[in-house]
Amino acid sequence: MKISVSRSGGLAGLTRTWNVIVDDQPDREEWMSLVSSLPWSSRPRVLPQPDRYIYVIRCSRRRITLPEQKVEGPWRELVNRVQSAAS
Amino acid sequence: MRCEIVPPYLLQRLASLDDPTFAQASAAARHSLLVERPWRGIRSGESAPPTSAPRVPSAIGRSLQEAKRTIFDAQNTEDLPGMKVPDPAESEDPAVTEAFAGLGHTHDLYRYEFDRASIDDNNLPLDATVHFGRDYDNAFWDGERMVFGDGDGVVFTRMTRSLSVIGHELTHGVTQYTANLVYSGQSGALNESVSDVFGALVEQRVLKQSVEQASWLIGEGIFTDQVEGNALRSLKAPGTAYDDDVLGKDPQPAHMDDFVVTASDNGGVHLNSGIPNRAFYLVAEALGGNAWEQAGHIWYSVLTGGILDAHATFAEFASATVDSAGADASAVTEAWKAVGVL
Repeated sequence: MKISVSRSGGLAGLTRTWNVIVDDQPDREEWMSLVSSLPWSSRPRVLPQPDRYIYVIRCSRRRITLPEQKVEGPWRELVNRVQSAAS
Repeated sequence: MRCEIVPPYLLQRLASLDDPTFAQASAAARHSLLVERPWRGIRSGESAPPTSAPRVPSAIGRSLQEAKRTIFDAQNTEDLPGMKVPDPAESEDPAVTEAFAGLGHTHDLYRYEFDRASIDDNNLPLDATVHFGRDYDNAFWDGERMVFGDGDGVVFTRMTRSLSVIGHELTHGVTQYTANLVYSGQSGALNESVSDVFGALVEQRVLKQSVEQASWLIGEGIFTDQVEGNALRSLKAPGTAYDDDVLGKDPQPAHMDDFVVTASDNGGVHLNSGIPNRAFYLVAEALGGNAWEQAGHIWYSVLTGGILDAHATFAEFASATVDSAGADASAVTEAWKAVGVL
């Protein structure tokens, strides 16, 4: 299973993408548990703020778009994990 | 007596007058504001108040006050506003002194060149937070304050190093209080472009650079030495600001033929802004001299004149600049034609 985090926007307008193959991770079970706990169907609505990042998180067929301000709780944990595992 | 015919934004301006001639009106307006619903600034995405109502010109006493600047330190957390810095002008922290000076320079451009009293034209205090987050590669305007990260040290250094970036962020505030261009698609790219234009003008005015002398770059100095590039964007030559192994090439288009259709970045607001950016540069080049004294005034009158729809397209914005250009209308028309908008 692959998790992809793509971050667009920001002052620089640079898009960066981080990918992780969960099956290759030593703590695979923790990843699976985290992914299944995420509220994929939530649709947080906030007005876009100038120069803020926008995250698109994809995992298998699931996909969510989150403004930076809403990357919190388990979403923040996932993004941090993907960024550190991918770099 | 409560006077309901006076709109709140005018009351607010009257209330702030410190000229003794207007003391009575000022006191009455303050009273009226107290009994009215408390004034609050317009938030992003909301409608701006009508701006076609008569302004209170500075000639009869509207005050254009010194910048009231406060710098906060988020201490590498994402908690806003952070700790207030006691004496920012004397700080030994360059992020603090750069932010403090940058707010002053931006305030001065609007005050002295465009007769504008801070970002809301009502002497709004300017707040900025530095050291936001950890290795945070960004700066933004959250509707109330400017927020600056330190950069990751690999691609970006601290965002406050560039005066044009500080001017860019503050101008998002000016746009919010005026045309309030919706931050998506073409109106979003115009919102971005206006921030780049006035960010560049803040820097040019401080450096006393004419159109020919100016770099026309946004964010010069915020890349580390490891990046092959000068800046984030170029108004003069969109698409040429950087070309790096890791970051790739500056993707900004300079012509409508290359308009980028994308879902990312609120519809490519930081990409397609290259097109109106280039149009502004071409007008500035045609008019010569100092851009903040010529082309800048045309753009400013469109931004603040109450004539733009919040969802304005490039073509609508272009037409508005032509209509506002007076004797320079043909130069403005040619510029927009050159980028394929008109």
